[in-house]
Amino acid sequence: MDTKSKVKSNLQEAELYKTQGLLNEALEKYLRAGNLIRKDEQLARNKKLYNTVIQKIRALKAEIERIDSSPDTKEVSESVQNIIKEKFAYGEEGDARALEGAIALAKFGQYERALREFRDLMQQENVKVDSAKNIIRCHVTLDSIDDAIRQYEEWFRSNAFTPEQINRLRVFLQSILDKKGIDKTLPHKEVEAMPAESPAALYDNQEVMDGEIIEPEYVEGEVMEDEIQDEDIIDISSVEITLEEGPQKGQTVEYDVSFQSGRVINLLVSSSDKELIETLKTGLELRKVHFYSPMAMFNGEGVVFSKSKIESGPKQGDYSLDIEIKSIK
Amino acid sequence: MANINLKKREVECKIVYYGPGRCGKTTNLEYIFKNFGKQVTGDMVSTDTEGDRTLFFDFLPMGIGKIKGYDIRLALYTVPGQVKYSATRKMVLREVDGLVFVADSLKVRREKNMLSLKDLHQNLKEYGLSIFKVPLVIQYNKRDLADQGIPLMPVKQMNQDLNRQLKVPSFPASAVRGDGVGDTLKACIKLTLQSLKKQMGW
Ligand SMILES: Nc1nc2c(ncn2[C@@H]2O[C@H](COP(=O)(O)OP(=O)(O)OP(=O)(O)O)[C@@H](O)[C@H]2O)c(=O)[nH]1
Ligand SMILES: [Mg+2]
Repeated sequence: MDTKSKVKSNLQEAELYKTQGLLNEALEKYLRAGNLIRKDEQLARNKKLYNTVIQKIRALKAEIERIDSSPDTKEVSESVQNIIKEKFAYGEEGDARALEGAIALAKFGQYERALREFRDLMQQENVKVDSAKNIIRCHVTLDSIDDAIRQYEEWFRSNAFTPEQINRLRVFLQSILDKKGIDKTLPHKEVEAMPAESPAALYDNQEVMDGEIIEPEYVEGEVMEDEIQDEDIIDISSVEITLEEGPQKGQTVEYDVSFQSGRVINLLVSSSDKELIETLKTGLELRKVHFYSPMAMFNGEGVVFSKSKIESGPKQGDYSLDIEIKSIK
Repeated sequence: MANINLKKREVECKIVYYGPGRCGKTTNLEYIFKNFGKQVTGDMVSTDTEGDRTLFFDFLPMGIGKIKGYDIRLALYTVPGQVKYSATRKMVLREVDGLVFVADSLKVRREKNMLSLKDLHQNLKEYGLSIFKVPLVIQYNKRDLADQGIPLMPVKQMNQDLNRQLKVPSFPASAVRGDGVGDTLKACIKLTLQSLKKQMGW
């Protein structure tokens, strides 16, 4: 092929790629054509041709720049929002599902609508605190920490929550503020002091953990639970362990996670499950574990990290089991 | 697992069109929307961003009749192909029942096809699904461009690149003209229903 035909075919390809929206591919072809022209004495004399190519290259670069810098999210129409709310909620029917729908809206960056949904859902007792937490998260994501604080203070003053609930919200928001280095102490109500090892204390503890492990930001469409890196651990609500040893070998047992600290989850095993307590020795590797987060299920591996008998409180005699998450697939 | 509504006796299967940016996923759905009027049960909803690229997803609802007294509905989605929307892609893929992988026949997109298939593999895995087990068909799109003298990969080579291990049904297509679009969808529906029947014990 002579240079002229090569130039022609490069330009032809470039034009087509451009109409296909394959801008980088088009750019490459224009650059190639430009180089061919420049290096060919005869063609180089045709200044008009060369300038046209240069102009095309400039325009294309600007277009690529524009597309690359386009926002990663935008407010979509109500009909699209309805689809997100309806189709991206996977749980059971009812309020829990509605909460998932609202979270999906937030994940797709539809914060205004999500906030409205969360506010409505706050009327439902079983998802009230979770909805409130998500309202806080939305404000935090939108960089309106002041709104988050104002909202908390409003709830604090009103009687919308029980002292225990408002305390959970306080711990949640306070940990976000602390993490962001914001010097602000939220007002708090006195909650009856609890003995350190009681499950209720663990629960309070969980809230502290919550604040630490949940990245309170819905980064562009990101699924929080999906980021399985060493530091970022998903929020795990329950586990299903397949036993590979002991009398119950081959069976699966399922437990709710009572609290979580980074990679370590804590389960409470009833004292009546003697065989199981025997089997789950410290150091035992658990090769088949399903980790359930509120939004998805993951397969993975863990190891029994520690085991201790609860000495007092309503769960006295039961076992507290720490499992370290080794991997999630 | 498909979304089953026992009360309404409805089953909704989620079919997702996956593939690299600009390969023609949205064009497939647009063609289906315009030409499969009988089965289409509602509007096609799109969310576009700069330069006509999909931002979140396209959505197209369809109905394909009854099995065992259950109304079988399909929800067709496309993912955004641009690399930077990886988190959204994964969200759209969640609970998928059937997949169409749209590959771009342009030679210059060879590597992008392979990367996108790898991305699909990885995302499925993270949902506990195997690309070898999920109902999947592959489409080799933009075959019409051969007429314009633009370098395309031969179908055989694409099969070698993308389908050597998977060995799933594959279809040459031109989504702008509509060639192969129906065949691709039908094959995907067939596999999806087979898997549904197994899961439902039908
Ligand atoms: N010639 C030709 N062009 C096609 C074909 N299919 C799609 N296109 C063109 O390719 C470009 C991209 O098509 P889309 O359907 O928007 O691609 P997409 O896969 O949805 O792209 P993203 O949303 O960015 O992931 C458009 O300009 C289409 O007209 C085809 O079969 N032949
Ligand atoms: Mg698209």
